[in-house]
Amino acid sequence: MGRRWLAIAPASLVFLGLFVAPLVYFLVISFWSVKARMPRPDLTIANYIATWTEYGDVLGSTLSIATAIALATTLLAFGFAFVIRFKAGRLGPLLLFVTLITLFGGYLVKIYAWKSILGLDGILNMALTGTGILSEPSGAFIYSTNAVVITLTYFLLPFAVLPIYGALRSIDDATLEAARDLGARPHAVMRDIIVPQCEGGILVAFTLTFLISAGDYVTPRFVGGGASMMGHFIEQQFSIGFDWPMGSAMSFTVLATSLLLVLVVRALFRWAFRR
Amino acid sequence: MKPVQITDTLWRGFGLVVVLFMLLPLFLVVLFSFNESALTSLPLTGLTFSWYERLFEHRSFWPAFQNSLIVGFTVAVISVAIGTLAALALSTMKPQRANLLLNALSLPVMLPALIIGISLICYFVRFLDLRLSLLTVIMGHLVIALPFVVLIVYARMATFNHSVVDSARDLGATRWMAFRTVTLPIIRPTIIGAALIALSLSLDDFVITFFTIGGGNTLPTLVWGMVRTSLDPTINAIATLLIALSIGSTVIALQLSRYRG
Repeated sequence: MGRRWLAIAPASLVFLGLFVAPLVYFLVISFWSVKARMPRPDLTIANYIATWTEYGDVLGSTLSIATAIALATTLLAFGFAFVIRFKAGRLGPLLLFVTLITLFGGYLVKIYAWKSILGLDGILNMALTGTGILSEPSGAFIYSTNAVVITLTYFLLPFAVLPIYGALRSIDDATLEAARDLGARPHAVMRDIIVPQCEGGILVAFTLTFLISAGDYVTPRFVGGGASMMGHFIEQQFSIGFDWPMGSAMSFTVLATSLLLVLVVRALFRWAFRR
Repeated sequence: MKPVQITDTLWRGFGLVVVLFMLLPLFLVVLFSFNESALTSLPLTGLTFSWYERLFEHRSFWPAFQNSLIVGFTVAVISVAIGTLAALALSTMKPQRANLLLNALSLPVMLPALIIGISLICYFVRFLDLRLSLLTVIMGHLVIALPFVVLIVYARMATFNHSVVDSARDLGATRWMAFRTVTLPIIRPTIIGAALIALSLSLDDFVITFFTIGGGNTLPTLVWGMVRTSLDPTINAIATLLIALSIGSTVIALQLSRYRG
């Protein structure tokens, strides 16, 4: 018994000392104030109030953009995982392999790829002007909310496919055949068996993609023109503003509202697919 | 065609579109790193390696490359050592308790990297009074790499036959001998696979590195600086290098660990 806990101790030390402790300290800082550009210990909720009054609208747009990304990514991922599991036959393992290798294929690289596709002198514009569809390059593709949604969906897709595929894999073929033999239509099989049985995977995918996109700042800055998401303003508190307490309050506001929204979506999902 | 065949064809078409969506952007980045023209435009003007020559002559490239390797290998070794130890212990626990601990240990994966990065910088600079360096970057990367190592090794242990270790122990082997001569050889491919996943996570990380490095660069922070100042195919060259490093180590990891989702 003692040995077992000893073996877990180093990993727990990293988890508690480099993850939990920094987060708790960071939460404490959100109640501090700033004097002469230096964070000072204090006990004030002024930073939270300022977050709501100054960044309330940005918070709203952040949550709605993250919802759009999480919905798009989870839907695409479900469809793709469904194809891998049931429709691709012998090509299934190959599709899974593509998903796995693009999982770690470079965060910045992926954002840069979309910047060079959607940009003013990007590949899309060159193709459209080259073929005469457009007379001059259009700036409509990049620096828009759509560009942020496309780029983050692209980045997060493999992360969403894997948990959903894991859940689909454990569905028993015999159950599906039984349902079909008893006359269930394909959409009924989908609604009453497949989706409820991979509920866990779908919810993990949604939660993961939602939280990561709600806190991203690199994508909005590279392809979204910056100013529409909280991550951008939080990062600025550290790079140019040096207002740590404010940045901390903003971070925990984003986290808390995101968690709340994710819990509501989870409850809605369970309600919709369970009778 | 029967309706069933039509929907099957539609599903396969959808699968093909998604695969193209996943691969094409990365393919284009690689393609344009070999294109003669400084513009990322089609059609290609000619094949060249000059963007790679430009990159290798870049004054900041080699130090960044060296930093990336130092951080990546240190993170891989440490996270595998302590992650394997934890996974082995977890695998002998009741599944319910093990799952609870696993879920807790995986929390860093769910959190935006920005929040991990800025909480670490406050903690290091103000609370621990540490100077930011490669060491702080390594500590930051451990936070995100460790959960993956634990999950991968734990998944392997689910199908591990514990009776072979018991036999070794019955025959008089010490715990350490049993681990070194029985357990380790069996799970070695998985452990190497987990190390490579940790390596590619570390090589790829930008956000946590950006906040915890203080001075100097790793490859991703170098890319960040280059993208902000200009857009030319030198970035495609360094991006191609990053893709090759991370996809290369992932492919080897998959082969070794036989991890399939």
